[in-house]
Amino acid sequence: MKKTMLGVWIAVSLLSATACGNKAANEGAPSSPNNEKKTLTIVNWKGYGSDDPEVIKTFETKYNVKIVHPYMASEEELLTKLRTSKPGDLDVVLPNASILPVAINDGLLSPVDTAKLSNYAAIYEPFKHLAENAKDGAVYAVPWVWGSTAIVYNPDTVKGPIDSVQALWDTAHKGKIAFRDDFNDAVMTAALALGQNPNHPSDLDAIKQKLIKQKPLNRTYWKTGDEFAKLYAGGTVDIGLMWSGQTAAMKKEGQHIKYVIPKEGAIGWVDNWAIVKGTRNPELAHQFIDFMIDKKFQEDWVNRGGPAPVNKNVTRTLDPAFVEEMGLDEKTIGKLTFISYRSDEEKKKWNELWLEVKSH
Amino acid sequence: MLKKTIGWTYAALVLLFLYAPILVLMALSFNASKYNALPFTFSLSWYKALAADTTLIRASLTSLSIAAGTAIICVVLAAMLMLWAVQTTSKLKGWIDALVVLPLTIPWLILGLSMLLLLSAAGIDKNFTVLLIGHVVVSLPYAVLVIKARLQSMDLSINEASASLGANEWTTVRRITLPLLFPAMLAGGFLAFVISFDNFILSYFLIPSGSSTLPIEIYASIKFGFTPEINAASTLLLAATTLMILLIVVIMRSSLKFFLK
Amino acid sequence: MDKKIWLMSPAVILLLCFCVVPLFIMVYYSLLSDGTRGHLTLQNYADFFEKRIYLKLTWKTIRISCCVTLISLLISYPMAYVMVNLIHSGKNLLLLAIIIPFWTSQLVRAYAWQNLLREGGILDIMLRKLHLIGSEPLGLLFTPYAVIIAMVHIFFPYMVITIYLSLEKVDIALVEASKSLQAGPLTTFRRVVLPLSKPGIVTGCILVFVPSLGVFVEPRILGGTEGSVIGMVIEDQFFEIYGWNFGAAVSFILLAIILLSMAVLSRLAKKEA
Repeated sequence: MKKTMLGVWIAVSLLSATACGNKAANEGAPSSPNNEKKTLTIVNWKGYGSDDPEVIKTFETKYNVKIVHPYMASEEELLTKLRTSKPGDLDVVLPNASILPVAINDGLLSPVDTAKLSNYAAIYEPFKHLAENAKDGAVYAVPWVWGSTAIVYNPDTVKGPIDSVQALWDTAHKGKIAFRDDFNDAVMTAALALGQNPNHPSDLDAIKQKLIKQKPLNRTYWKTGDEFAKLYAGGTVDIGLMWSGQTAAMKKEGQHIKYVIPKEGAIGWVDNWAIVKGTRNPELAHQFIDFMIDKKFQEDWVNRGGPAPVNKNVTRTLDPAFVEEMGLDEKTIGKLTFISYRSDEEKKKWNELWLEVKSH
Repeated sequence: MLKKTIGWTYAALVLLFLYAPILVLMALSFNASKYNALPFTFSLSWYKALAADTTLIRASLTSLSIAAGTAIICVVLAAMLMLWAVQTTSKLKGWIDALVVLPLTIPWLILGLSMLLLLSAAGIDKNFTVLLIGHVVVSLPYAVLVIKARLQSMDLSINEASASLGANEWTTVRRITLPLLFPAMLAGGFLAFVISFDNFILSYFLIPSGSSTLPIEIYASIKFGFTPEINAASTLLLAATTLMILLIVVIMRSSLKFFLK
Repeated sequence: MDKKIWLMSPAVILLLCFCVVPLFIMVYYSLLSDGTRGHLTLQNYADFFEKRIYLKLTWKTIRISCCVTLISLLISYPMAYVMVNLIHSGKNLLLLAIIIPFWTSQLVRAYAWQNLLREGGILDIMLRKLHLIGSEPLGLLFTPYAVIIAMVHIFFPYMVITIYLSLEKVDIALVEASKSLQAGPLTTFRRVVLPLSKPGIVTGCILVFVPSLGVFVEPRILGGTEGSVIGMVIEDQFFEIYGWNFGAAVSFILLAIILLSMAVLSRLAKKEA
């Protein structure tokens, strides 16, 4: 009996060993001796500019480095990744204002030396002074792209022009609206409609009532940009809350879609690059960030349907009509309320409010 | 005869329901529109895109090998466990029954996160062994429950008869119990395989950085674009599986006769 | 002492280390006030029971899961019965045909349902061509029906398999014996076949009901504005806001519900057997 037991144990451990071995081989183990290339690990959303094969190839050849892209699925999850990874695992990450202050305060990021970034000077001035990106005079995050979350509609089926956020509350569009399933965007949009400060709303109860009033007008709430794009292309929805970047991409793919920054203003956001504390490649990390805010990259991406570039030299070379309609210019920046950091307490409250609206 | 016709019609209807969305996603993989828009325009562009997408292909291969490892380990462990369960008189049995279904009752999110925290507490890096263990833990209940459902309705007096005829235990297991259990082991293995293959959460938490599985790629792509490339990958996988199974059936026709009856 | 203990020890050790220990970690978190730090508190549980929405969502999720389990049973039992008793060749191929769809991601299938069910979608066009529906829109997408259809689709194959495996072993001799005793087909079914296939039914119900409680993908994609379920609350706590502790507490409450319903199920099964 002992022998059988041993046999089974060996079989099981062999199986697990081979299964793991296979995987290690798949990885193209970076430990092989003649492979002296450094690896730069970048955490970003999938399909979000930096993982374009052409872009990666250009950077890899220029700096003789291998780029690895583990993806993130949410900001909160990026924070978890930062907290649970070992020093040296990750090099460059893409946090936004919702987690930056926490990441900085927890000592998860290392300061960026802006003197090493040749393109830093070209960034729009307002973005260099975002409160969440710095601490004690040190810069921890470099703005990369920005955009707005505003209203889109189908000019063929929706009677326009639409210029107010109240359109989302207009019963004329009943059954054709797709509001966003996101507590932050929901509360901020309702605050705009009510004339409250979107970042510091004074009356959450009124916001809740306003959102409950909006609910029956919706066809659905959308969660991912992709979902909205498919519903819109299929004609299931005609009007909704949408990101400027995704709208630009849909336009490039031939969709008839109109983007409007309402007169009440809109939500703005900025995605920033930051360097992870304990990185083994600080030089390369800086070079990568500089490469990402370079005119060439930013211009290429916005022309492929990417979000708005932070590099002000890029906007000047674009088609003025496109810039105007998509709100890519400095004038738009002034109309937006950029999402600011919220405490866990506040996030929980907003999230619960949104849950109450959804299950009302 | 009428009974048979009704039976086949019913089975066909159920299969139609089962395959309807599968057929849709297959069709969409040949549709030119990125947003699955109709009318349908035939195009192979998503397959071309897939062929060029080494990340997606590598991720699919990783998923396949993890799932295969998981399935084999699960079937072995589950069969051992069940062989013990049928003959034991131990008081532990009730507890162990409960223990086995436990992973089924814990949301995978929690299981994955706790394992991750366990790793960081123990100072171990994320690695494929841990990932495989995680997959085995969540898939094992399926294998066990399927084998158990078979065992419970199996006539155990055969075992006793065999023993009374002088067969030693190992012979009984090998000649009687295992062949009887084989269909259930096959089904259990398949289930464990697919549970692991489609598992996103555990892989998400436990996979070493730099690697990914197919579900991770799929979930990561939905924020901006979940292109029909994924449909193309699914279609190819389905086609490959079906072919593989048919091939096995044809090659092993004689030895599998028992199961094809 | 059991000398065959080695047979079960690998599985048991694995489960103890990687399932029971994490479970305790989860309970511990559910009792903490702030992330991995903070003090011990019952506040997370109090929050759950004080606010009506969580109870409401839990109840809604249980209702949906019961619905899904029941419909799955209604589809699966006849299917398994047909496979065992009426189909003589290729039943194992049929079994494989039932497992193959699992090869596609749950998420991809959910989007396929969205495509199938929407107005102007494939089902809509087909039904219209066949004149099965008039001019009014299909109106299935973004309703609870859509969620239930997709969930049944994902889970019922588990039930077919477990019922099939237990039905297959029902001794034909017993059925014949019952027939020879002048029992009608219905009586034979009720008194002989059904009790014998009970283990498969119970297992199948567990395999459908339990994962149904934790689902969040299908309700979100197919349920429209009324698509909130408790699984989404848990997901939000981990992916949207830093609420691990509350998320763990909700998970634990869900776990308690599951264990309770499993106890009831197995009690029922025993009583009737």
